[in-house]
Amino acid sequence: MSIAPEIRYRFMKDIGAPLVMGMAGLKGKRKAAIKRDIPLGPPLKCSKRLKEIMTRHYFLSRYAEGARPVAWVTSGAPVELLRAFDFYTVYPENHGALCGAQKLGPELCSIAEGHGYNQDLCSYARIDIGVCLSGKTPVGRLPRPDILFASNNICQTVMYWYRVLAHHWKIPLMVFDTPFNFVSLDRSAITYMVRQFEEMIPELERISGRKFSEKKFKEVLRLGKSSAMAWGEVLATMKTVPSPMTIFDAFVHLAPIVSLRGLPVTLEYYNVLLSELKDRVSKGIGAIVNERKRLMWDNIAIWYKIRDFSRLFAERGMNFVTATYTNAWAETISYMDERNPMESLAKAYSLVILNNNLDHRLKLMERLIKEYQVDGLVIHSARSCKPYSVGQYDLKRLLMERLAVPSVVIEADITDFRAYSEEQTTTRLEAFFENIEDGG
Amino acid sequence: MHLDLETRTRKDYIREQKSLHGRKVMGVFPAQYPRELLLAMNILPVEIWDPPLRTREASAHLQSYICSVVSLGLELILQGKCSDLDAFLFPHTCDSIQNLASIVNDYLGIHKPCYFFYHPKAPYKRASRPYYISQLKELKSGLEKQFGELRETDLKRSVDRWEEIRKDISKCYLLRSEGRLNTSNRAFYSILRRVEYLHPDDFHPLLTNFLQSGRTETERQGHGVLLSGVLPNPPEVLDHLDAIGVRVVDDDLLSCSRRFLSGPVSNSDPYEAMAETYFSLPPCSTRGSAIEERLNHILKKIRSSRADGVIFLIVKFCEPEFFDVPILADSLKKEGIPVLVLENEINQALSGQIVTRIEAFAEMLG
Repeated sequence: MSIAPEIRYRFMKDIGAPLVMGMAGLKGKRKAAIKRDIPLGPPLKCSKRLKEIMTRHYFLSRYAEGARPVAWVTSGAPVELLRAFDFYTVYPENHGALCGAQKLGPELCSIAEGHGYNQDLCSYARIDIGVCLSGKTPVGRLPRPDILFASNNICQTVMYWYRVLAHHWKIPLMVFDTPFNFVSLDRSAITYMVRQFEEMIPELERISGRKFSEKKFKEVLRLGKSSAMAWGEVLATMKTVPSPMTIFDAFVHLAPIVSLRGLPVTLEYYNVLLSELKDRVSKGIGAIVNERKRLMWDNIAIWYKIRDFSRLFAERGMNFVTATYTNAWAETISYMDERNPMESLAKAYSLVILNNNLDHRLKLMERLIKEYQVDGLVIHSARSCKPYSVGQYDLKRLLMERLAVPSVVIEADITDFRAYSEEQTTTRLEAFFENIEDGG
Repeated sequence: MHLDLETRTRKDYIREQKSLHGRKVMGVFPAQYPRELLLAMNILPVEIWDPPLRTREASAHLQSYICSVVSLGLELILQGKCSDLDAFLFPHTCDSIQNLASIVNDYLGIHKPCYFFYHPKAPYKRASRPYYISQLKELKSGLEKQFGELRETDLKRSVDRWEEIRKDISKCYLLRSEGRLNTSNRAFYSILRRVEYLHPDDFHPLLTNFLQSGRTETERQGHGVLLSGVLPNPPEVLDHLDAIGVRVVDDDLLSCSRRFLSGPVSNSDPYEAMAETYFSLPPCSTRGSAIEERLNHILKKIRSSRADGVIFLIVKFCEPEFFDVPILADSLKKEGIPVLVLENEINQALSGQIVTRIEAFAEMLG
């Protein structure tokens, strides 16, 4: 890495970023003062801190190029390995969610579509390809990556998508191939995954120009595990009635565990959030004013509808208290063990919900429904995400048969609202509301 | 060949295989799997790519945005048309087939054993090959519990047999590209696709006979195109190309050359030989090959077959292909190669619009 970008990066890190964070905080404060939704409880105080952290992350990323090795990473990839080499990491899925929440999905997707990418492809991928082709992004600029790091533990789509990026940027693509658990995880798969890690190390040393430090790697693992456990505790506070947080809050507060996993700031942040939630629990403060029904969400968020849905459900005294999606970053963390780093990393990353068979998902949902005292289920059938969506119709039927939990399927997309029908969704939700009020 | 393969239905064929040869029959979903292993255990693989059905019951299980290969495969099971099958095999091809496997195994309660085959994805590493071999051995152990022990000599024989068949398939492609296989597009793929359910005892003679009877020394007439995509479907595309005098001279189809035209096998150990076959297959979107690699492969084929253009036959909602095609099509166009991208359901009739596009494309070929 050359000296000038390094000096610029350090300056921005120490001087520029704190200034920008302060401004982001002020902006957030003004917004919070203006908007106050009646059916919702008091907003979380640490949202301001979250905004500062994520603003800083994207702000600094602009200056990372040349100063730090840069990697674009899929949300389920074992980033801990990259952290040991001090990679600056950018998460196109997180960036896609951000674009989706700002209702920029169709605009950015259209750029990719104009280059021949089909409208039926994952909209995170279309947004990202659109950003690569046009340079347009609401965060100013994304740094050019030195390497792409993908794992197919969440879908095969990311492999196809990252191959397009590798072709576009003319850079190496590193894939962590996680055999799908059709039945269960076996020894040969573990050996295969551990060997992949071992092969990655010299390649990462070459690309980053840094030597692998086992000590640093173990420290990252420890931090990553502690952060994910803290995130798990954050989610567990929602078992309380009334729940101190809604799943719509969790969708937003998920950003650090996705994008900044293995960094000290993530652990610090979740400890602060946890402390605030525990305080709410002790005082009986709910995330919505009148929590009468508790719901579960399945699949990725509909990012452009978070605000609307948050209010719509809260007005009816319905609170989402758990989701398979948010749970995914806490579910398998207990496997992580710094005494056996590679094998434990392989287990923690290959046993995640989307790399497991549907029987696993059914049992997981049954457990969450019981633990979180769920009265109803909203299933987002996301056009973008086939591994999450294929099987949902059967899940709906089986959960009704086994637990008598009423549910509704919303056909939509994660960021592309051209695939969302307000009329159809309203009709379905109205029927669901009636059903749930009648006790299922 | 003791059966009239032209007139016998697939169902009749399967039943005769069971009753006359005592074979077990396995329904195999796309795309890549070790057929040598199954055949060595006297299991006949019957592949499920495009059953001639209309989606009726599958829509209660699958969303409308799932491809017709997956939805029709499920439809076949739900309509009770798999009663003659002894088991299913699901290779790990894409997200939709992966979840279909889980729906069938975990949710439907169909009471048929399901087997799975995970093959490592590219970019391949040193760890990929030992893992592939471990998967072959695990599949073998699983199958042995239901179908009895596999003798190593049988496996060796089966690997050698398949190698012979592959060589003849390669010969077919070579003659076709040189214009020395005088047969229609429709007939070429109709013969080739019999491999999806015929036993080698029936398929290999059929293929060699086809090679001998269709061979000609006259030069190719008219224009030639290369087909890319998943399947040569709808078959009416082939008919229409025949009608306007355009010959399919080679392909990059998942169901055809992409899983048959591997390099020669040199290893005497059957598992190593099967691994050698797998890792020397042409680049493929479903196995994670780099797009650049696939592009170079297609360009090489275009040059060797003297194809005048490329037609991408894309199955609607097929993600692996959807991601590759824009770069492939764009790069080919930059090389001055005419490209036509058609998107269709596998059993959908050819629309007037598609016919017009094919005709316009043929005119572009010169």
